Amino acid sequence: MVFLTAVNLIRSRGPDEWWRKRKIFKLAAYFYGRRRNCYSLAIRSVHRALVYATKSRQERKSDLAELWKQRITAGAAQHGIEYWQFMDGLHKNNIEINKKNLADLAAWEPASFESLAKISKDFVEKNRNK
Amino acid sequence: MSSRQRVQQWATFARQWHIFDCKWQNPYESAIAIVKHLKGLHKPIYHPMNDCGDHVICINTKEIALPGNEWTKRAYFHHTGYPGGASWTLAWELHSKDPVMIMKKAIYRRLGNNLQRRYTMQRLHLFPDDNVPKELIENVTSQIRQLRVVPQRIDHIEKDVIDNYPKIMDYPTDYLPKTLK
Amino acid sequence: MNHSQFLVSGFLRAPIYNGIGRQINQLQRVTLKFCKSHGSSQGMRNFIENNLVDFAKQNDSVVLYVKPRRHRSPVIVAEYLNGDRKWMSCHNRPSEEILKWLSLLSLQAGDTEPIRYRKHWHTDVPSIQGPWNPFTHKNPGHIIAEYPHEGLGRVFKAPQSATEKLLKIAKKRNESENKKE
Repeated sequence: MVFLTAVNLIRSRGPDEWWRKRKIFKLAAYFYGRRRNCYSLAIRSVHRALVYATKSRQERKSDLAELWKQRITAGAAQHGIEYWQFMDGLHKNNIEINKKNLADLAAWEPASFESLAKISKDFVEKNRNK
Repeated sequence: MSSRQRVQQWATFARQWHIFDCKWQNPYESAIAIVKHLKGLHKPIYHPMNDCGDHVICINTKEIALPGNEWTKRAYFHHTGYPGGASWTLAWELHSKDPVMIMKKAIYRRLGNNLQRRYTMQRLHLFPDDNVPKELIENVTSQIRQLRVVPQRIDHIEKDVIDNYPKIMDYPTDYLPKTLK
Repeated sequence: MNHSQFLVSGFLRAPIYNGIGRQINQLQRVTLKFCKSHGSSQGMRNFIENNLVDFAKQNDSVVLYVKPRRHRSPVIVAEYLNGDRKWMSCHNRPSEEILKWLSLLSLQAGDTEPIRYRKHWHTDVPSIQGPWNPFTHKNPGHIIAEYPHEGLGRVFKAPQSATEKLLKIAKKRNESENKKE
């Protein structure tokens, strides 16, 4: 029989301070130089890294949205239509595909994207003189 | 990866060659269209870290058109790095030294400051006139549309077209313009 | 600790092809490196002396290389059919342990180290219609056209110039005058 708890008890010796620092060093394990091993430097870098991580969770979303927009713009331009016209045409025809999937369609299923572009294009033509 | 998938990948990432005629074009406006093709922003597979940019050949850079009084007012700055090494060259001066330079600088500036800029510029080929080497021009498969209409010079219009141009009235035979009186 | 920071990244793979038709031994090649004089290679030397021939007979699809390397610690390098290469140090290992490790390596389908998945899904058919490529929506006529091309490079939907408007009005007027006569 294996006494896992006993092993843990032996391991969990040491002052609280050591364990508190250990948590920080774990997060700093992939840093470069003394920032990995010196606590006073590590804690600063860890705090900064956590702030970056929090901020980039939002930024990641907007970065991806921007990339999808660029790809849809490129896809729509091939069929002689602008981004806003394309999206507006789809919306007015009750075609509700999000930007991520539209960008995927433009790259992976070009024929489907062409049909979508045609729908928007027809809509633009029809409403040109209104 | 099967051989079919491999060939598919070559097709998707195939580099294209575009040509752009700079005749009577504003270099700063045309840079927007050219940079789009250099970076690959016209492709639905675009990603900033994806090497999908195309080649662009710009011809007739000698005949670009700057707006307003920019030929005499726009100055290009250069610093040699030594004290007192700063110099400012006017656009017309730069253009007479190197007819490719204004177009090149416009595109270089438009590409934005990043590490990829120098490599992207290697895909740009500028020519002062329309003499492009055969090995470059035979790669071209598309042309970037001009952004401005090329005006026709009056000395290039044929004589009978000018003679038959609709007129409201004929000048009297003894008419002299004010300046000659 | 965030383990993913230290893991090698990779894509999902499943060796489901093995065992459907026939069993193919995935281990292709094993290289044993050792020193003839050093104590750390003692176990490896014993293994080569006593067990290697038997192991080779049992696994006749595996190519074995034995390389004496002066004053280096012993290593096993196993190479697999899928291109994986597993490097393993056998410093101070007894011959029994080396045999166990080798038999384990011969049963595996590749490098089994944990990897960080770039994507949590996999498909053999990412596209039904065929992925986009630069020629997907291209007019074939544009590819074989002579460049620079006058029509393809001209401004798209240029607004009517004053000259054109004037000529149109004049033409209309001429026609109506001719009718009256």
